[in-house]
Order: sequence, then structure tokens, then C-alpha cells
Amino acid sequence: MSHDTATGIPAQADAEAAPHGLGVSLPLAEARAKTEGTFPYAADLWAEGLLWAAVLRSPHAHARVVSIDTRQAAGMPGVHAIVTHEDVPGEGLHGRYGADRPVFASEVVRHHGEPLAAVAADHPDTARMAAAAIMVEYEVLPAQTDPEEAFTAEPLHPDGNVVRHIPLRHGDQEATGETVVEGVYRIGRQDPAPVGAEAGLAVPRPDGGVELYAASTDPHADRDRAAAVYGLDPERVKVVVTGVPGATADREDPGFLLPLGLLAMRTGCPVKLAATREESFLGHAHRHPTLLRYRHHADAEGRLVRVEAQILMDCGAYTDSSRESLAAAVAFACGPYVVPHATIDGWAVRTNNPPAGHVRGEGALQVCAAYEAQMDKLAKKLGLEPAEVRARNVLATGDVLPTGQTVTCPAPVAELLQAVQDFPLPALPKDTPEEEWLLPGGPEGAGEPGAVRRGVGYGLGMVHMLGAEGADEVSTATVRVQDGRATVICAAVETGQGFTTLARQIVQETLGIDEVAVAPVDTDQPPAGPSCHSRHTWVSAGAVERAAKMVRTQLLQPLAHQFGMSTELLQITDGKITSYDGVLSTTVTEAMDGKELWATAQCRPHPTEPLDGAGQGDAFVGLVFCAVRAVVDVDVEIGSVRVVELAVAQDVGRVLNPAQIAARIEAGLTQGLGAALTENLRAPQGVLRHPDLTGYALPTALDAPDIRIVRLVEERDVVAPFGAKAASAVPVVTAPAAVASAVRAASGRPVNRLPIRPQAAVAQS
Amino acid sequence: MTLPASLDEAVAALAATPAAVPVAGGTDLMTSVNAGQLRPTALVGLGRVREIRGWQYLDGHALLGAGLTHARMGRPDFAALIPALAAAARAAGPPQIRNAGTLGGNIATAAPSGDTLPVLAALEATLVVASPGGGRREVSVSHLLAGMDMLRGGELIGWVRVPLLHAPQVFLKATGRTGPGRATASVALVVDPARREVRCAIGAIAPMPLRPLEAERWAASLIDWDGERGLPQEALTAFGTYVATACVPDPEVPADGGEPPKLPPAVLHLRRTVAALARRALGRALS
Repeated sequence: MSHDTATGIPAQADAEAAPHGLGVSLPLAEARAKTEGTFPYAADLWAEGLLWAAVLRSPHAHARVVSIDTRQAAGMPGVHAIVTHEDVPGEGLHGRYGADRPVFASEVVRHHGEPLAAVAADHPDTARMAAAAIMVEYEVLPAQTDPEEAFTAEPLHPDGNVVRHIPLRHGDQEATGETVVEGVYRIGRQDPAPVGAEAGLAVPRPDGGVELYAASTDPHADRDRAAAVYGLDPERVKVVVTGVPGATADREDPGFLLPLGLLAMRTGCPVKLAATREESFLGHAHRHPTLLRYRHHADAEGRLVRVEAQILMDCGAYTDSSRESLAAAVAFACGPYVVPHATIDGWAVRTNNPPAGHVRGEGALQVCAAYEAQMDKLAKKLGLEPAEVRARNVLATGDVLPTGQTVTCPAPVAELLQAVQDFPLPALPKDTPEEEWLLPGGPEGAGEPGAVRRGVGYGLGMVHMLGAEGADEVSTATVRVQDGRATVICAAVETGQGFTTLARQIVQETLGIDEVAVAPVDTDQPPAGPSCHSRHTWVSAGAVERAAKMVRTQLLQPLAHQFGMSTELLQITDGKITSYDGVLSTTVTEAMDGKELWATAQCRPHPTEPLDGAGQGDAFVGLVFCAVRAVVDVDVEIGSVRVVELAVAQDVGRVLNPAQIAARIEAGLTQGLGAALTENLRAPQGVLRHPDLTGYALPTALDAPDIRIVRLVEERDVVAPFGAKAASAVPVVTAPAAVASAVRAASGRPVNRLPIRPQAAVAQS
Repeated sequence: MTLPASLDEAVAALAATPAAVPVAGGTDLMTSVNAGQLRPTALVGLGRVREIRGWQYLDGHALLGAGLTHARMGRPDFAALIPALAAAARAAGPPQIRNAGTLGGNIATAAPSGDTLPVLAALEATLVVASPGGGRREVSVSHLLAGMDMLRGGELIGWVRVPLLHAPQVFLKATGRTGPGRATASVALVVDPARREVRCAIGAIAPMPLRPLEAERWAASLIDWDGERGLPQEALTAFGTYVATACVPDPEVPADGGEPPKLPPAVLHLRRTVAALARRALGRALS
């Protein structure tokens, strides 16, 4: 069966005539189809004669599996196949960064929702009923859900409970300051809660291989993982990327994607699964719940002397991306401040809680909330303004991180802070009585003006770009030009972050061709790596630019030769080639002369090194910074919080698409707002409670504040393609810290926990 | 799926097919269907039953059709009639839900967080229930919610009889966010000058709305019904505390006379929230 029979692959719309090139607000190519509801997402996949899959998941957080009996379920009419751990032909364990997660649990289940078996049947209801009819005998074990007990508890996994420990030691370990502030902070479990739940389709191939259609954000890694599990050569597994319905994390839970392929190969039929919201919450990874203990030492003027911190991240039962998340948490534990001496211990430990993994800004978000709370405490203790104590400590280019890495990229932290500080504060309701005041609690809430206090708070955040600690960050792109139109082939997945729009802009800018299409992604293309860590603006856009430049040289070389000038003296605008002196003028079409031009290029940034035994090393390729000022209204009697305004200044390197960058910042701040106020996936005793979008409160339009993008600092990063920095992650990281700081100012309470519970925002009388 | 055009036809359709489920707005029913928890073999759609989509007046009461949507109840003309019910309807979820969800559905679902329920409890509303064979009987909303007088097979809620009090009434709701959300606690408070009563119901903190009767009587006894009805701030605060302690009681003293267990912080916060809501509600009703 070829993939012609499977539909659901988004066709990339052609470029519009204008505007074009870099630095303009080219709209997203797929925006119109998405708005009109015609954009094909993974859940829209269809193939002739397909079967429906259902996955049996553990109802327990921790249990021994005594027996699995599929006989009754297999005998149900309409059921075509059932697979369990016995039916995995290849590797039984998988994992993005180290294989420790079973495809199907066999002897023990380690978290609520862990897959045990999968069914293919002729109707989704039949499949679900058959999955429910599989008899599993469990011996329920006590759930180990307290990360602090992980060190002494029975190992949940043969390799122990501590996934990673980073003991960072920097500078003088005996240094102390005149002023000391301490705090304990807890960060909750945010879920990426993608708008579209997971879905996928597996189609068997005549050669015994399989094609997986899914909204994967890392198709080549998913292919390699699937091939290892299926016991096939990677060439016989193909992952085709469909429309991605929202991704701020790794998309496509392998817990159902891997079984889909097994079922397709077993039945010889296409097999589809579209997860319910509950399955989606059970299957994918969440943000690491984190416990942080901090002690900041400062001198009498409020300059930081030393930071001591212990960071404990709960990774759930399996490693996933926890090693990287911990590295980010430890490296950025002091924030964008100059700290000469640091003692930081970070641990990532296993528990029976829901699995944690890559979610935008992982590690950095948790520590940002804690170090900014510490800066507020320091300000209070020294009688300084919160912004002032931050300003006295900000990092700049040339300063050294606690990891020993010198900051070589632009780090305009002081400028960012000044920008949000100088921005006028929003009017108080008493100054604008004609406007309707939206009180905390909402338009029909219980808010009472007399009980509402306003607070202003600051957050400074930082994240790294690209994979860290020696990860081989590379992307490959191909540009093809024929008949006056260009095609970009690059396996960088468009998740809504705007990569395809950027790729079109780059080709327009370099080749002067307006009509640029970006090909759909599959694993027959060379790998471009995952859509995370703010990567594609750097590596994939860099590869596209190089390939486009190579095509440009191929196009212009004969002309340049003919006129005895170098290609640099020729320019292409609006499909016309002109020389610097205006002597030569021809069109791109003429110069092409019916030829087809191809070029493929790679972009691989400078290498990094792993953190050593003392947490030291040049682990990061690039850093991004952001400052947020939050203005909140708090009903200090019932503790309801409304964020009135978020003013943001961000270090962007260079603005490649103003509308997109604004959209990324607004989206990021809103995701951070959720982490600050409402988003916490509750799992008492490791079992998810209310895994639906009523119980898990995402911010709505009424919750979203006015967002003021005060300044985009364009200081180009010389090593980055175009000098641009990624925009999506750092607002997510910084917003929760700023909101907490503002609630602290309004209520006078310490606010040590995210999301902020109403009882923590009630002023004590 | 049948689509009867009158209430009696609907009741007859339900009686004819006992497995059939009535559906009006579907905002609760369809989530269960979509989640695979419910597979009704037959549905009786109430969307064409015109007689329950409006309201009429009867002896100082309003007879509200069970098919009134939250959006309709939220409009100013309805708010002039029963302000607390209009406020509760406006607070009940996002516009999509309010456009579809009905008053009768909110009562039939009887979720603890149902926003109209504390208002109906404070108004001491009664339901006019249509029975098979064209019969009508009246059931008090509180009795229905308490399970003392349940709907029988084939019965449908036709109308809700609500007194028209011509006096201030307030609905206040505390939620976890600014956008629409489930109530963590809500308070409905109505002033009834004819009976010289203050009636108050607390929603969302128990399976059904709670009426702090002693606190109501105490507040009514303080009010100068023939003059200015305002109360001093201390009285409002005391009323709030009175209501909150009644609805979120202290743990019982153990039989051996030892220290009573302490309320957990989340429960204490709930009590504080109820106190603030009740205080604000009475203050606004008397201002």
C-alpha cells in the first residue's frame, strides 16, 4: 500500500505575492486553512479498509502484573489482533535518551496509564471494549510518589531511582554574605495539553515494513525507535508527518504509536487510533514537578555573593528527557545574574507519578520561579525595590555562568529590565472610571473593588537554544528551483512555530523568487532533528539559507563569468537579476534557461561539552533572555488573581518576522500564565484526577492579560544564522516568576508554590 | 431519536420507550456520550417543545420554562425579573455552553457546581413536573436535589415556579480563574420583604445547595423592614462568619473529650471564601 491511499498530509499553500523576504510579517502559509477548518490534522487520517486501535492502560500507579489473559477479548466479534509484551519482535525497551521504558509493561506497571496491550478491531468502540475485556491480574503495590523518598525507597527500576545527580561547584565553597535569604519552592505539574489530542495511522508495506503517519515532532528519532522495537532496519520504517495540532513538547506519545505499527504488521491492514482527551493526558509527558531549596548570600549593597541550591525534579517512572531538563535547571539555577560562588545540587529521580519529559522551557521555568522569589526576598530584607536588586546583579556579555561557561552571545539583560521598568503602568480603575473594570474572579464573579489590591512584579529569565552538553545539533535542507518557483525540502516539522514561513522568507530573500513551497516532511528526507529547544530557527533555517545561497551561486556563476564580475556584484530582486552598475539586467527565468537547480546544505553549530563532575563545562550553544513585568489585581479576601498586564522585553537577536515573533511571545506568556495560576495536573497517589479540560484549567481569553511587547532588543548573535535568536521558550519561563512576584507585592504573602493557590494569595490580617 | 412538539407528546414518547433519554441542550449528556460512558439506545429531543422555552406570570410567580437557555436568562429583560438567576446564568460557563444549556437540564443534572441551583434553593422554587397521561405535579427543588422527591419514570420537568420578590437579590461565585470555570463556592441571597425574610443558599461546597437557616433568621431580625434596610459592616461580617461556620462546620469534638482535629488549610480557605461571599452578598442586597 503506498501512501497515496492515506490522506491527511497537509499540502503547503503557495506563497502569496507580497510581502516577502526577511523582516516582514509574512503570514503563516497554513493560517487560512486552519482558520477555515480545512487543514488536515492527524485525527483526519483515513485509509481504505482501516482498523481502529485501542490501548489498554494501567489503572494503578504501581502494581505487579500477575497475569494478562487476552483470550476472551480476542474472541470478541470484530477484533482482529491483540498485542502484548510477548508480541514485540525487537527491543522491548525504548526511550528518547536511554532505553528504560517498556513498549508494553510485562511484570510491573510503574505509572497510571502505562500501556499493557493494544487491540485492533473494526470499530473504535469494539477496540475499546475488547481492551477493557483483557483480564489483567494486578498485585497492587504502594505508590512511591514522594520524590524526597526516592533516595531511600525500593528501586522502581533495575538501574535505581536517581536518574542523574549534578553537583555543581563554582568558586569559593566557603563564601558567605552579610545578608542571607532562604526559601523552599514547589512547582506543579504543567501539561502541554495540545489543542488536538494524539492520533496516528500505521500502514503496512508490501516489503514487510510499515509507514507511520503521525504528528511527530521528531520523525527520525521516532522512526529509529520504532524500527528497533519492530526488529526492522530503519529503511523499512517510514514516519510521515501530518498536520500538527499544537506542540509545545515532544508530540506523539510512543505508548500508542509503537503499538499501531505492530498491529498494522500483524493484521496487514492500516490501523488508526485517535486518543480521547483522557488518554492524551495519560499518555504524554508533563513538566517536571520540582522541589527547590535556596539560600542566597548577598553583600550589604545587595550584590550576590553566593547561591546554594538543591533542586529535586520528579521525572516519573522513566528517564525520557530528564537528564537534559536537570542540566538546564542546574546551569540556570542562579538566573541571569552574576554569581561568583555557587553550590548547586540537582537530582532527577524516579517516582510512580505521571511521566515527565520535554515541555517548553523545561528546567529553566522551575528555577526561574525560585531564584526570582529569592530576589524578591532579598529586596525586602535590604529594603530595596525588587527591580533595583535585580539591576545590581544582572549578567552581561563576558560574564561567567556558574557552569564556568563565559557568555559570548549578546546578553542585554540590563537593557531588558530597564525597558519594562520604564514602560508606563496601566491606569488604576479609579483613574479611568468610564472603563469597565474586570475584577479578579471574572465578569460575573464575586470580586469587590474594596478588597482588590494591585501588585507589580518582575521576572528575568533565560533559556538555552539547541540541545546541550555535546548533542550533535545538525539539520539538512535542500532547495530546488525550477520554472520560476522554489521548493524547500527539510525535515524540520512545522508545529505552528512558523518554520515553513521562515523557510519561505529565506528563499525569497536569497533568490528573489516569490513562489516558494515547503515540502511535507517524512523520514525519506535527511534528518533535521526535533522541533524543540528553539532549534529550527537556528539549524534548519541556517541549512535552508546555505542551500539557497548555493543555488544562487549556481544561478549567477555563468552570468558573472560572462560579464567578468563576481557573483557578489549581482543582485536578485523581484525575479530580476541586475548588476551593481545596472549594465546587466535579465530575469531569473531567462538565466535559468529551463534548467533545474538543486542544492543541499547542512548547518551544524559549534560543538558543546557535557557538564563535568563539578557541573562545569561549555554546555550551551546560545542563550536567550527576557524580562517581564507583571501587573496583577488580587482579591485579597478570597485569593482570586487576575493578571492585568504583562509587559515584556526580549532579546531576539534579529526580528525575521515581526508578526510571528509577537505571536510567539504572546503564546509563550499565556502558557506561562497557565503555569503560574491554574495549570496543575493533579495526581494524588500517582493516579490522575480529572484528566479533562474542565478539571485542567487552561487560560481562556478572559484570563489572558493585555500583553505589551515593550522592546525587542536586536543585538545580533554573530554565530547564529541571521543573528536571530529563538523566541518561543523564554517568555514561558519568565512569566510565572513575574506573576508570582506581583502577587507577592499585592498580597504580602511569600507565594512559594506554583500554580498559585487562592489560599496563598489571601492577605493575612 | 424522536422530536415531539409538545410536552405531553414528549412525556408519552418517554413512557413508550423507557430506555429513551431526554435531551435538551445536551451540554452534560453529550460529554458522557463522547467519553463513551453513555450509549443511549433512544433519545427524545426537547428542542421543538415550544411551550417550555419562555416564561409566563401566575399569581405573583413566574413560571419559567425548563427549556430556557442560560443565554436567554442572562438577558436584561429576564434580569429585571429575577436578577440572581440572571447573574447565575451569565456565570455558567462559556457562551457556547450558555447558548445550549437549559434551566431544566441544570436541575436534572443536579451537579454540585450547577450555578442556577443555589438561586433556586434561595428562592424556594418549585418544579411543575409533567407526568405520563397528561398529569402535572409540583416538586420542591430542594426536595428533588435532596433526593426526597425524585422524578419518576417518564416524567419531565416542564416549568420552574419562582416567586417574584421585587427586592434585591444577589448571586456571587468564586472560581479558580477569571475565565469561566466551575464554582469553588457560590452564594445566592434574596430579600423577601413580603415575608420579611432573608434567604441564602451556598452552592458547590456540598452535593446540594446548603441553607444556613439560623443565620438567615438572625439577619432578618436585624433588618429594619419599615425603614432603611442597611446593616453596619460588623453585622455583615458576623453574618458571613455565621453562614460559613454553619456550612463548613468545625470538626466534632471526639467522644473522649480530647482536642478536636483541625480543619485542613484548604477547608479553612473554603470557609473564609464562603464568609467573604456571604458578607458581600448581604451587603450588596441591602445597599
